[in-house]
Amino acid sequence: MNTKVKDIMNTKLETITPDSKVYDAIEKLVDRRMRSIVVLPKDEKDVYGVITVRDIVFKVIAKNLDPHRVKVEEISSKPVISIDKETELEHLIKLMEKFNIARVFVHEGKDIVGVVSLFDVLAATLIARARRL
Amino acid sequence: MFEKLLSGGKLEKKVIDSIKVHLKILCSATECFRIAISKGEKDGAYCVAELEREADSVRREIIMTIHQGAFLPFIRPYICRFVEIVDEAFDNLEDAAYEFRYLNDAIYKMVESECEKIARINKEMCELLIIAFDTLINKGDLKEKNLALRIYEKQVDDLKFEIIEKTRTIEIKNFWDGKNITDFISYLTKLSDLIEDASDYLYIIEVSLK
Repeated sequence: MNTKVKDIMNTKLETITPDSKVYDAIEKLVDRRMRSIVVLPKDEKDVYGVITVRDIVFKVIAKNLDPHRVKVEEISSKPVISIDKETELEHLIKLMEKFNIARVFVHEGKDIVGVVSLFDVLAATLIARARRL
Repeated sequence: MFEKLLSGGKLEKKVIDSIKVHLKILCSATECFRIAISKGEKDGAYCVAELEREADSVRREIIMTIHQGAFLPFIRPYICRFVEIVDEAFDNLEDAAYEFRYLNDAIYKMVESECEKIARINKEMCELLIIAFDTLINKGDLKEKNLALRIYEKQVDDLKFEIIEKTRTIEIKNFWDGKNITDFISYLTKLSDLIEDASDYLYIIEVSLK
């Protein structure tokens, strides 16, 4: 398996500022049909975070909190788990299994440049199998 | 089972070889179009029309050979339909190349990266269609090739959705600019549908020979 993360990653990324309301994040998730949004660093010393549908459901909806009042930074995870875009698929799968995660963000230097999901891994693997004569 | 497909020998072999040539030309056309798109060379897209003409004569030869008696009669319509779908793919690619030459650069810039990705996927789908055809002839597992082509098609669909979202935000001041970009996207994204259809026909041929 010589496929690299950069070959299969999705570059369609949505970002949100940490002081935005959770409701803004919900709107973005629904409009863009995504499951997670990158939370931008507050300042140069800060790091990227992530807010997922899971965070919103378990930390806001399930607790009967008002998404108009809760800030993104209050429920987002930080730092975001990310891998270098040159990482090989085999290593990515191990990482996903180890942390039990379905999506991993991809970085190039300090910037987040993409996201890769378990489905992307499955699709890439099936295509690679099919291309073998 | 493929003894049935290949029964008779000469004429069948001629058709199979010609279909391989036909598919290889489609692959070359998608590759030259991909290069033209990735380099932004509008004149580079002329190669598609040239290859389409070459493919047209190969298609006529295939259909004529089939009507001369190649293959068992019940399988002929499926093979003809497969060849016709590949021909539709050529026509579609030629239309995309034509529209590409007249695109408004400022509008196109907004969706350029997605179009480049689609052009790459189209080319990879053609390569896989050749593999699928070889698999049919060599009695391999066509199901896996068919599934991979469906995955590719889904990727193009997702990209099409992204492009449509972007283009809806563009203010169109000239009717032809709007029509041009809409037609280009439509032709570019339809190619994957046609290749998927062609792959489905290969699967039908395989099933009908069982």
